[in-house]
Amino acid sequence: MKNNSIRVIQNLKRWVREPSYGFRLTKGLVRGGFYVIYYRLFRRNVRIRFPFFAYAKVAIIGPGSVSIGRNCHVFENVFRGLTIVTLSRDAVVTIGAGCSLGGLTVRCINSVEIGDKTMSAVSLVQDSFFVNMDEAESTVNRGNAIPPARPLVIGNNVWLGGHSLVLGGSRVGDDCVLAACSVSNGIELKEYSLASGNPVKRALPIQQLLALRK
Amino acid sequence: MMTDIFASLRGGLFRLRCRLFRPNIQIRKGLKVYKKLRIDGPGMIYIGENCKVCGIRGDHSQYVTIDTHSPDAVITIGDRVSLYAVRISSKFHITIGNNVLVEEAGIVDTDFHSVDKSRGNPVYESKEKCRISIGNNVCIGAKSIVTKGVNVGDGAVVAPGSVVSMSVMPGSLVSGNPAKQTTA
Repeated sequence: MKNNSIRVIQNLKRWVREPSYGFRLTKGLVRGGFYVIYYRLFRRNVRIRFPFFAYAKVAIIGPGSVSIGRNCHVFENVFRGLTIVTLSRDAVVTIGAGCSLGGLTVRCINSVEIGDKTMSAVSLVQDSFFVNMDEAESTVNRGNAIPPARPLVIGNNVWLGGHSLVLGGSRVGDDCVLAACSVSNGIELKEYSLASGNPVKRALPIQQLLALRK
Repeated sequence: MMTDIFASLRGGLFRLRCRLFRPNIQIRKGLKVYKKLRIDGPGMIYIGENCKVCGIRGDHSQYVTIDTHSPDAVITIGDRVSLYAVRISSKFHITIGNNVLVEEAGIVDTDFHSVDKSRGNPVYESKEKCRISIGNNVCIGAKSIVTKGVNVGDGAVVAPGSVVSMSVMPGSLVSGNPAKQTTA
């Protein structure tokens, strides 16, 4: 409670010093409000919690259900805002509260769960192997089967670096950092570790990294 | 349903335009264009029957571009190939087989620049070393790149986000950078 009030007071001080910040915030709040109302009226299985700050385009496409927590901010990153594509009626996308999503693309056929306070740059979270799964399955009709879609879970306070990919079946622990251009395909990441590479190998515990730096 | 009809019409118009004004592009019947298709360059391009050109779902800024960078360049695309937001760029020879699904990938058969300080045209490249050949029944996942000199065997599956710089055995599943065979 005390932390919250401190933050509110700091925000207000910033409003007084930089009026443009307050203006941008209000514009984002109003635009986000429009998105909340639009999705609540026309798409009953998409639930965005108010307050929602949208500074860029939010596109939620597809028949599945989506729920976004409160206090999420959608920034513009490399010309993109937030894009969520659900590829089947049973798809469930859950995004936690307080997230800072800019340029995030989520493509879900089964289930994608993103925790609270996630910070994402232009990254792709894709749960199925291919976006057009039925076409892919009819194309590769023998030999190596395409791995089926497994539920994807991203913990709280995770930072998805620029152009990173989190693909089907991954479980990213809390407080993790995914380096830029890293690709994790069905990999389980322990909490508070730094993952880099394509494919991700040997995530480094950040606690040790910080200790080394000192 | 309506989008299919419009796509067939758009594809038919594109074919007609190519037949009338661009003799270096030869497209067989049945092309469906759902999102923008841009073909540029002096080389020869052959597109097979019943191909599909679309964007990737949810991303309206990406479309399909097919470029050739020399008059001797040849791009041959087989029958029933689905291209979703693919960028194909060729200086030598790219062959794509039948029944291929390519999603949001880049297929480039040249480095465009050399690694020495001049950054000029790479002199060590030639058609035999750099040609790309993608077999039949191949699926290439989102945000991957197929680089020069790669032979993707029939029935291979390329995972999303992989950079394919070495040839892929037929029927294998590859992922990573560089793309290696994985069992997952």
